[in-house]
Amino acid sequence: MPPFSFEFFLSVFGEILPYLPITLLIIILSIIFSSLLGSFLAAGGISRSLFWRTVTQSYVFVLRSTPPIVLLFLVFYGFPKLLLLFLNINVNGWQKSVFVVIALSLLFASNLAEVFKAAYLTVNTGQREAALMAGLSEWQAFYRITLPQTIVVALPNFANTVAALIKDAALAYVIGLVDMMGAGNNLIARNFGHHSLETYLALAVVYWVIFIIVEQGTKYLEKYLSKSRAVDTTQSGVTA
Amino acid sequence: MLTVKNFKKKYHQHEVLKGIDMTIEKGDVVALLGPSGSGKTTFLRGLAFLTPGDSGNIIFDDQKIDIQSATANDIKQLRQKMGFVFQNFNLFANKTALQNVEEGLVIGHKIPKAEAKQIAQEALKKVGLLEFSDHFPSQLSGGQAQRVGIARAAALNPEIILLDEPTSALDPELVADVLQVIKQLADEGKTMIVVTHEMAFARDVADKVVFMDRGLVVEQNEPAEFFDHPKSPRLKEFLSRISAASVANNSFEYEKSSVN
Repeated sequence: MPPFSFEFFLSVFGEILPYLPITLLIIILSIIFSSLLGSFLAAGGISRSLFWRTVTQSYVFVLRSTPPIVLLFLVFYGFPKLLLLFLNINVNGWQKSVFVVIALSLLFASNLAEVFKAAYLTVNTGQREAALMAGLSEWQAFYRITLPQTIVVALPNFANTVAALIKDAALAYVIGLVDMMGAGNNLIARNFGHHSLETYLALAVVYWVIFIIVEQGTKYLEKYLSKSRAVDTTQSGVTA
Repeated sequence: MLTVKNFKKKYHQHEVLKGIDMTIEKGDVVALLGPSGSGKTTFLRGLAFLTPGDSGNIIFDDQKIDIQSATANDIKQLRQKMGFVFQNFNLFANKTALQNVEEGLVIGHKIPKAEAKQIAQEALKKVGLLEFSDHFPSQLSGGQAQRVGIARAAALNPEIILLDEPTSALDPELVADVLQVIKQLADEGKTMIVVTHEMAFARDVADKVVFMDRGLVVEQNEPAEFFDHPKSPRLKEFLSRISAASVANNSFEYEKSSVN
């Protein structure tokens, strides 16, 4: 094994950074879709109908107890079969990234559902009643009063979940997707297994930078939101 | 103005309200008393369909509602005539005091913004909190928050205001200010139902005092008769427990504080 080469370490960035957009695209799409699905699941989780509560609870349970890498393979191998069987759609030509986005969205929707649900429940429901008595409709009470506060409360946990998603997205290379991680692995293969340390170190550095950006962004957003909306969820208790 | 007939409500097997009848005339201030668990709050919340009753009738002016078959539209129409003041204030935490009052005017009642602002400022001035217009609920004391809550309900100019234990969540020294504001509304001729534990207040401000126990109206009367000559043994016991003596020669703490 050759000694650690700083030059090689630097050259790795040139090899992997062109694939950063793919990694970011997968992350961003997964965040969007898992947030959407997570919102529906959260709504189902607090719905009055036992049917929807059971459906969402089962979903959350199954998905939360599936390891990401297992789910990735399940989606990769199972999804095309399901589509072919039930809808007669052939997905052989689809990009591998589609499967990654589907798997990550399914997976993190279950985590986000819990985050959203918990945040919604912290916001004192009396405010909804007060809004209704002030003549607002259910929908107006939700998006004008409850939702803005839910977002502020959910933000820290949302950021944590996104952090986990970003890390799990690095698994995408196992189904053969060439994202940043895949490019790194290819590079190691081309060097017959040499310079693995430099390559992985470079990958780690890129992830650290991504995380610094995510963290600072969240902090800024949190500050901004809590400044314009002095949210107080302890209000439901006895205060004087 | 408002008549309630045979209002019933069950939680699982437990019958909380066993058929409440009540009539409220325009301008009446009705104080609803009773031990905890007697169903006062459930009744009040039931009137506004916040926790709908199981059966009975609500007749409000010319609107007749059968509770069992009430539609969303019926409920909306009924709520338009009502203001509600909550025990825990339930101010919109993401809005300032002024915005709390404006919200119902602008969004709920579709009053133009400029006009709504004026009404809201007027309402806050009345409860003595105009200079707190830009404060968020988390920056207000409990007493101030509740006064904003009352301003929010009163600004919509409802035909009746329902107050659910408006001072129960407050520190004792803050109660007086809030009661003073409610008394002021009563003096203006507002129709109100107040669930309260403030006996002195009930005696002084209410036109009628209703005593509820175990899901039934046990006794109702004018305040003086109610407190000085209770008829039913349940009420006698209740009044003796809360030391009626202090009620009889009460000295209205809240009027003292209103001087400054």
